[in-house]
Amino acid sequence: MNNLVFGKYIPIDSFMHRLDPRAKLIGLFLMIAAVFVPKSWWVFLVIAILLALALLLAKIGIKMIVQSFKPMIMMMIFLLVINALTIKTGDILFTLGPVEIYSDAIFNTLFVIVRLLLMISITTLLTATTNPLDLTLGIEWLLHPLEIVHFPAHEVAMMVSIALRFIPTIIEETMRIMNAQKSRGVDFENGRFSEKIAAILSLIVPLFSVAFERAYELADAMEARGYVPGAERTRYHVLKFRFTDYIFILICVLVLTFSILSRFYL
Amino acid sequence: MDLIEIKDVSYSYDDSKKAVDKVSFSVKQGDYVTVIGHNGSGKSTLAKMIAGLLPVKEGSITIDGLEVNEENIAKIRQRLGIVFQNPDNQFIGSTVKDDIAFGLENKRVPSKDMEGIIREYAEKVGLTPFLTYEPQNLSGGQKQRVAIAGILAMAPDIIIFDEATSMLDPKGKKEIKQLMYDLAAGDDITILSITHDIEEVLQSDRCVVLNKGKLFMYDEPEKIFAHADKLREIDLDVPFIEQVREAFGKYKIRLKSDDLKGMVEELCRSGSKS
Repeated sequence: MNNLVFGKYIPIDSFMHRLDPRAKLIGLFLMIAAVFVPKSWWVFLVIAILLALALLLAKIGIKMIVQSFKPMIMMMIFLLVINALTIKTGDILFTLGPVEIYSDAIFNTLFVIVRLLLMISITTLLTATTNPLDLTLGIEWLLHPLEIVHFPAHEVAMMVSIALRFIPTIIEETMRIMNAQKSRGVDFENGRFSEKIAAILSLIVPLFSVAFERAYELADAMEARGYVPGAERTRYHVLKFRFTDYIFILICVLVLTFSILSRFYL
Repeated sequence: MDLIEIKDVSYSYDDSKKAVDKVSFSVKQGDYVTVIGHNGSGKSTLAKMIAGLLPVKEGSITIDGLEVNEENIAKIRQRLGIVFQNPDNQFIGSTVKDDIAFGLENKRVPSKDMEGIIREYAEKVGLTPFLTYEPQNLSGGQKQRVAIAGILAMAPDIIIFDEATSMLDPKGKKEIKQLMYDLAAGDDITILSITHDIEEVLQSDRCVVLNKGKLFMYDEPEKIFAHADKLREIDLDVPFIEQVREAFGKYKIRLKSDDLKGMVEELCRSGSKS
């Protein structure tokens, strides 16, 4: 569970870490749009350069970004195979037995792959530089307008932040139950599929029952401390847009504009 | 009129038997009251009713003249805090600071005032070096101190400890008990502590003994332990010091001290005189 890179927060201090989470979220949406719009490699090059600069500012190694690509490799291979078999335009590059591979198949696939890799890199950059709690606050702020149509933005944010808070506790609990079941002879690693299912069940059932108990006690604790869902509360963390945040958003807007214009002029 | 008045309160989770059965007692402002009894004697149920977490269906509970009910609950929660048994399940914020802030946010304390209040109460419970720690990096005793700081920050009149030390290691237990005694020593905070720790009972001003949902005794601890046989009847422990007192009592030797050292001195003095 620890080698999961995608979505992992790197708790260091950097220029990117200090940006307002709302600015980074808006930036994420703008940049993803900018990655999806263009048909020219030049735009990708510009975005890649800016991304490299942002990584430098975030003090995040290229190694982490490359690692975040790992789960996508299978999908990319699949994409390449499907495209190679179906796209029949452009020049014939070479033939593999009965299948002729066309240049467009290769180029189109590469284009989509680069697009995906850029998107993953941008998202990894956001999650690596933003504390999950700040991210929750940012999302809550973005969802705030939806409260007009009675969307419970605050409650959703509270739920997400409590879920985040309890992830380590639940993992610890899982390990404890696993050890307890192992000591009673449950084998989680070996055996047939049906045996493995039974083993997992012996983990999941107690885990759920304990989680529900926790939830009840937590609800009591929250209520006792004066929490009323939907009631007005003040905030300890107050998000503040600074000059650099506006500059950051402006750069993202410029990139998106460039990307849209590139469809007409490049 | 006393700060907490409990009159003929009953509660049942299902209709078959009563978890709390016609319990009445009152607690004076500034008192330190312990509540003892076996598991299932209704201690926690009673605590939850006082805190307004369970509805008072039969009888009445008033806090400083305010009846505990749906209507007054917001006002009462401003004046009353509760520390629960499991340190993990009452840690709401993602860090120590955020957890202390949680109650303040609910109380609508202005954002700019929070930092100062958080620091003040973190200092009070000795958590200043841990303000940015996440719960998984704290010990059970530290988490309970966070819970206490979070409650103190809301400036309550009453704090209920619902077996707050029962899941802690000996060191954590000692720390939390000391913190509780320090709070009890002042006159402003009324403490209601549900406990299995018989030594703690000796430190309290008064003690409630519950048995099968009914109020069994309510008196000063010394007077309660003077009826050791009655406590044994309902299988409750008698503190060692009281056992010693009782054993000597059988030989018509009355010891008045509250600790072992004093008793030994008393005995030696009376021995040398005769």
